[in-house]
Amino acid sequence: MVTFHNVVKDYPADGQLVRALNGISLDLPAGQFVALVGRSGCGKSTLLNLAGAMDFPTSGEVLLDGVSTSSRDDSALTKLRREKVGFVFQSFQLLNTLSVVENVELPLLLAGTPDARELALDRLAAVELSGLEHRMPHQLSGGQMQRVAIARALVNNPKILLADEPTGNLDTTTGVLILDLLKRLTREQNTATMMATHSAEAAAVADVVVELRDGKIAGIRRP
Amino acid sequence: MIASAKLFWRLMIRPLGREPVRMGLTVLSVALGVAVVLAIDLAGTAATGSFRSSLETLTGNYNLEVTATGGIPETIVGDLATLPLNLAVSPRLEDFAVVAETKKSVVLLGLDLIGEASLLQTQTDASSADMAAEFPKDFSEDDSVWAGSSLGWKKGQQISLILGDRERQFTVRGIYDDQNQPAIVMDIAAAQRALGRIGKVDRILLHAPETKTTDAWTKQISAVLPPGIEVRAAGTGTEENRKMLSAFRWNLKLLSYIALIVGAFLIYNTISVSVVRRRAEIGIARALGATRAKVLLAFTGEAAVLGIIGALLGVPLGRIMASGAVKLMGATVDALYVSSRPGAIELDFASVLTALVVGIGVAVIAAYAPAREAAQIAPVDAMARGRKEFLLRVHKTRDLTIAVFLAFAAWAAAQAPAVSGKPLFGYLATLLAVAAGTLAIPSAVSAVMKSSAALLKKSGVAVLLASRSLLGSLRRTSVLVGALATSIAMMTAVGIMVGSFRTTVIQWMEGEVPADFYLRPTGNPSVDRHPTISPEFADRLAALPGVEAVDRLRAYQVSYDGVPTTVAAADFRESLKRDRSDFFSGRPTQIVLRELRSGDNIVVSEPFTYKHNVKQGDTITLPLGTSLVNFRIADVYYDYGSERGFILMDRSAMKKYLPDEAPSNLAVYVANGADPARVRAEIEQAAASYRVLIFSNADIRKQAILIFDKTFAITYALEAVAVLVAVMGVAGALLALVIDRKRELGLLRFLGATGGQIRRMILAEAALLGLLANAAGLLLGFALSLILIFVINKQSFGWTIRFHWPVAVLSGAISLIFAATVLAGFYPGRIAVRLNPIEVVHEE
Repeated sequence: MVTFHNVVKDYPADGQLVRALNGISLDLPAGQFVALVGRSGCGKSTLLNLAGAMDFPTSGEVLLDGVSTSSRDDSALTKLRREKVGFVFQSFQLLNTLSVVENVELPLLLAGTPDARELALDRLAAVELSGLEHRMPHQLSGGQMQRVAIARALVNNPKILLADEPTGNLDTTTGVLILDLLKRLTREQNTATMMATHSAEAAAVADVVVELRDGKIAGIRRP
Repeated sequence: MIASAKLFWRLMIRPLGREPVRMGLTVLSVALGVAVVLAIDLAGTAATGSFRSSLETLTGNYNLEVTATGGIPETIVGDLATLPLNLAVSPRLEDFAVVAETKKSVVLLGLDLIGEASLLQTQTDASSADMAAEFPKDFSEDDSVWAGSSLGWKKGQQISLILGDRERQFTVRGIYDDQNQPAIVMDIAAAQRALGRIGKVDRILLHAPETKTTDAWTKQISAVLPPGIEVRAAGTGTEENRKMLSAFRWNLKLLSYIALIVGAFLIYNTISVSVVRRRAEIGIARALGATRAKVLLAFTGEAAVLGIIGALLGVPLGRIMASGAVKLMGATVDALYVSSRPGAIELDFASVLTALVVGIGVAVIAAYAPAREAAQIAPVDAMARGRKEFLLRVHKTRDLTIAVFLAFAAWAAAQAPAVSGKPLFGYLATLLAVAAGTLAIPSAVSAVMKSSAALLKKSGVAVLLASRSLLGSLRRTSVLVGALATSIAMMTAVGIMVGSFRTTVIQWMEGEVPADFYLRPTGNPSVDRHPTISPEFADRLAALPGVEAVDRLRAYQVSYDGVPTTVAAADFRESLKRDRSDFFSGRPTQIVLRELRSGDNIVVSEPFTYKHNVKQGDTITLPLGTSLVNFRIADVYYDYGSERGFILMDRSAMKKYLPDEAPSNLAVYVANGADPARVRAEIEQAAASYRVLIFSNADIRKQAILIFDKTFAITYALEAVAVLVAVMGVAGALLALVIDRKRELGLLRFLGATGGQIRRMILAEAALLGLLANAAGLLLGFALSLILIFVINKQSFGWTIRFHWPVAVLSGAISLIFAATVLAGFYPGRIAVRLNPIEVVHEE
């Protein structure tokens, strides 16, 4: 579903180029839950951004569902993102001015999808938040907020789900529940899920753990 | 101290440079506010404050003056000169001549050149010997004139002047240095002959020894003169004019503060944004030992720096704007008050200091509330991660309650009378109404947005997000809507007032300008100049076959109760036929006018009654010629022709005291069945040797409205600056909104929003702000217009204005402002689209 072919990514920093990713090759099939682990700055977030068509590789190729991101312009990439990618963030990133259901239906509204409300309510039911749709984000617990974020990430039936430290702001118990939910949804929706994490416990939930070090893959293991 | 200054620089000032466009807009808004205040102050001082009547030139060293309505008999000059009081006596004839070539009016002075040649000699570019040699030969020649150097004429030049209704040739015998106060000087005897005023002088200047006070001299000299002749301190007329202009200047001055008030809203917004952005920094500083007072000082200091930079830029800008303002103000003064000569614009230390104090003061006062809020933030709360949007508290219910109370206070203030002729409570009512409107805005915005939520959602995701964003930062939205609404409200109020006034004047002219043709001597019209037309010419017109009647009007300048006013006499031949009423009492016109013919009765204009606190049935004493005459006010009439007030009587009454037959204006009525075009041709033929202007009924109305529009041009200019400041504020605030919501905007890109959708969202925010502000501004403007029309105008000028909605002007202006507000969203929209979503989402 997501394929990296010898991907290199350089960033300019203080007038010099810094290599964030150095020759990454990886294949993430549908229905698989992959955890990216490694120290801060090892390239986890960069890899997620490339997988989410938020950025282009400096060299190499990233294929999303068979489509190379390098060959597309900004609007084509936006369309690709809308249709194939869902994001979950560490700090939930809900819009405080929108209600729960409005947050979930937002990607559908941006894509101009009809029946957005119905689909959003379905997704909320899938993350066990039925009945809370009209609450505002600040009226929810951290775990509930992350469930809303997951519902939002999945509302457009993406083929790829990208999660950046999804349990980083949660207590252990809630974190475990969220990871279980992600794993369950990966199976049910047959998405390719890629999660960046610092937590060994979180990584243990994944089907495959990819360890990054200085922009390179240092090891791949199955927990 | 140095350490504090360093910290202030590092923490407060240096970060301002990171947002140059937004800071630039804030500083520019203060600069424009200060500039307008300074420009009106400087122009006001030049056009009215340092007012000098055009006639006040070559006045020499005299301390008293003698005047009389319609002129002083020449014999009085001799009487005064022979009094054993050691008085120096200088008689003057004062009028205006129209230069035939340019049609410009120039002061014409008749001086006793034998006694006062030194006035010219000492200022001439020729040698004293030359002048002395010329005077005996030429001064009494009927064609001899001396010209002020600023007229640009040359010695020996032939010049054609129109005096009254006649054109004559003159020879320039010499040029004198007029210190930029142009005048044409003749010998008084020649001037009397030229103007047809044999035996009369207009003013006698006296120099009395300083052994007694001016009052004592005034009493002593008055005792030996006829009762209608007034003795007063020299320059009293100028002082009276200055007094008369004070209301005009006051109102303009207050209007000039609108832009500054709008600027204050924007400073408030800028500092509020600064407080929200620096919440964490405030927490750290507090945790490291900064007191609440230091935090308060830091944020008010930030505002003060913006105020200082704005004020410093505003000073030169104000000086430039003053040049334009003085022209507009000068035109108004000339049209409505008195022939004036604006003084030089002087940018003195006091004006600069006032501008700086006002600019910095307004900035600091506006910043106080958000700065105080910053000082009250607890360090732990401030350092906690969480929402970074504009989260300062909004107290909708409390604010709405205060708004209702203030609105009631505004209503109460509007009922109070003027204080020393100034509508102080009217101004207070305006301020209270603006404050009430501003405080009601959060509730109004919230109510409108919530009630239209479904509609907004249907308008698309960009509008939905925009509306939620505005509602989510209600306080900031309210401040912006408040700033824009205040300027729109003032524009609406002034627009309604001027539009109502304009319509009232047009309707008034329907009744007051009934004649088919009007004639007056050539030259620019001015409210205090009354050149005359030969009486025989009026008789010739009356005898023309197509003419049914000619009404003659004669006007004089008079000082009543220390205020210059106009006293006029008319035939009322045609008006007598009218049975409609032009009067306060509602009595038919013909009945009131018959009363005027029956004795010493007068009618006075509405502004006159307010200025002098008189009413129908009162008796007033007027100096006419050498007499002091008691007149009964038979009625009061609506008049929009002069702010100074007008006294009208029948010609027969005036001729008893001022027997001069020459009219100032003629109203010609075409006979039934006669062709007006043919009659006009006949009038033109009859006027061939006279320099008179002929206006048709339509011409005179058009001209009146032209003068009216010119008069209010400066008002519109002030409004435009206030609106410009507000629109700049919207641009700056939207930019702040974009910067504050970088994370949200980046997130939207992650969720699949296109650049176009982000741009549309920012534009939708701008449009919603514009819509809300326009709606609030119109409502508040309507309330303010009532105060302007029925309180401030009435108490300042005394005009009854009938309310009227100037729909075309208002809808045009509001559409323009709306478009400008939406345009103001383009740059912030561009910035929003250019944000890198990865950077802005991950920097959290």
